[in-house]
Amino acid sequence: MSKPILIVGGGPSGLAAATALSSVGQKAILVEKEQRLGGAPILSGYAKLVPTGEWAKDAIGGMVSRVETDASIQRYAGRTVAEFTGEPGAFRAKLSDGTTLDVGAAILCTGFTHFDSVNKPEWGFGTYPDVVTTTQVEQMISSGKGVRCPSDGRKPERVAILLCVGSRDRQIGREWCSKICCTVSCNIAMEIREELPDCHVYIYYMDIRTFGLYETNYYWKSQEEFKVKYIKARIAEVTSNGQKLIVKGEDTLVKRPITIPFDMVVHAIGMDPNVDNRSLASVFGVALQPQGFIGKANAYATFGETSRPGIFVAGAATGPETIDDSIAQGKAAAIAAYAVVNGARVAARAA
Amino acid sequence: MPIHEKSLIRPENIKTQDKLVLEGIDVSGHWSTFIETRVVSDYNERLQDEIAALPGGEYIHRCWQCGSCTNSCTVNAVNPDFNPRYWIYLIRVGMESELLRDKDIIWQCVSCNKCTYACPRDVFPEGVMKATAHWLELKGHTPKSRSTMFDEEFSEQVIATGKIEEGRIIRGFFARSAQPLRQEWLIEMGKRLARKLPIKLGMLMGIAALIRPRTRGWGRSRDAIASYVGEQEQRQRKALNLPEPGAK
Repeated sequence: MSKPILIVGGGPSGLAAATALSSVGQKAILVEKEQRLGGAPILSGYAKLVPTGEWAKDAIGGMVSRVETDASIQRYAGRTVAEFTGEPGAFRAKLSDGTTLDVGAAILCTGFTHFDSVNKPEWGFGTYPDVVTTTQVEQMISSGKGVRCPSDGRKPERVAILLCVGSRDRQIGREWCSKICCTVSCNIAMEIREELPDCHVYIYYMDIRTFGLYETNYYWKSQEEFKVKYIKARIAEVTSNGQKLIVKGEDTLVKRPITIPFDMVVHAIGMDPNVDNRSLASVFGVALQPQGFIGKANAYATFGETSRPGIFVAGAATGPETIDDSIAQGKAAAIAAYAVVNGARVAARAA
Repeated sequence: MPIHEKSLIRPENIKTQDKLVLEGIDVSGHWSTFIETRVVSDYNERLQDEIAALPGGEYIHRCWQCGSCTNSCTVNAVNPDFNPRYWIYLIRVGMESELLRDKDIIWQCVSCNKCTYACPRDVFPEGVMKATAHWLELKGHTPKSRSTMFDEEFSEQVIATGKIEEGRIIRGFFARSAQPLRQEWLIEMGKRLARKLPIKLGMLMGIAALIRPRTRGWGRSRDAIASYVGEQEQRQRKALNLPEPGAK
């Protein structure tokens, strides 16, 4: 009997890896620092997911309950890995509560941290209550309460979504594109227009990166069916005149300064490296990329290898990632880890 | 500081006082010249819907500002200020005051439709130009163009009789556009026409001018067309927030 595989993190990629291992008869141990499984889509209360439009609580919630009812997956919620020693096939993990686990390999599915908009004070988050983040709007929608201005609960008549908040910004040391925020913003804009047909939604962008098929289903659809308006401008500042939020910037297509009143401003926040990445890197002895995400040793031969043999990585821990790709990566890393712990048997079968 | 490139600034934004003293210092003359910043301070959210309510403007909301229309434009090649991409943007976003600055060039579209074939999003920019020129007239920003007057005279006569009678259309069009009938070129054309015209055709034209013939059994068609045109007109005026036709 081979040793179990340790999965760190119970978000989409971790859940997918655990289920994949279980489906080939491999025991898995899932360690999650929060009390609940599900990762960002569940813990942050996402609404309808790209690309299927399923609610996060159904789609990711379904993955959680599959893991929770699976006897071959051992779960340790509310705990972290404090020490990790050994060699591929014979690792020993010590958890924060003192539990010791003997495992054959590990998969880091430790995800990301939402960008904290307070780091861009000129855009008014933390100063004006009606400046919110995409995560807050997701929660307004998923809670069923609808999109309302937090200051007084009124229905907004005009909403601005600012793209690239915490992405592509050397000022604050975040040079990467967070990849998903354009598509998420198109999705949110359509959801707002659906709930509040009299509310006009403007998206302020530098580029629109609704990659692949999202072009049709989100960018084009939001314009053609939902009349969402796109304005090429990076906003200089968000202030208030006492009644409304005032968005200032330059409309680069007309080369004209703009100061436009809005009821609500939404920051399309990007994906930061997990705030725990430095301690994860030192506990597991894996290298980080310059941007702070967990590094991959190999992009083609074996998927999801880190700099340390026997430890794999999947999902948004490696960089901004979509939910469906995180799930695919979790499964890919599961196969790679499976080969490590069952190396002898795999080799014998091949001979 | 003197403004070196005054020609680039719209005259209404140059503010000059002959005499100006600021905190005891005389800054008269060019020292008192200021440029007022042009800031867009609001969007007119009805604008896109209004243009979209007029024939040709239906697909304006698809535009993503690639500039294919402007790059392919016949008129733009002659007049760089003729920029369909830009106007489509102003309309979509609702920058009405900026659009109105160009009201005297928008009608110049020659309907070559090169933009129609270049547009990757099927916006139908030629239609948008037509709708925008129409909008400018309906809203009273530009006077009714001669081509609109001609169209009105032409269609009214066709709807009334089911026939086109050239002499009557010319007379009606000249009356609508307040042009004298006695114009040198018209008289010359009449003379030459009279010289070459077969006698029978001349007689028919004369009779038609006097008795105003109709297509047989035209009444029902006339009523149907008139009611459809009336409905469309009513729908458009409602979309543009204009009073009912005929109402004062």
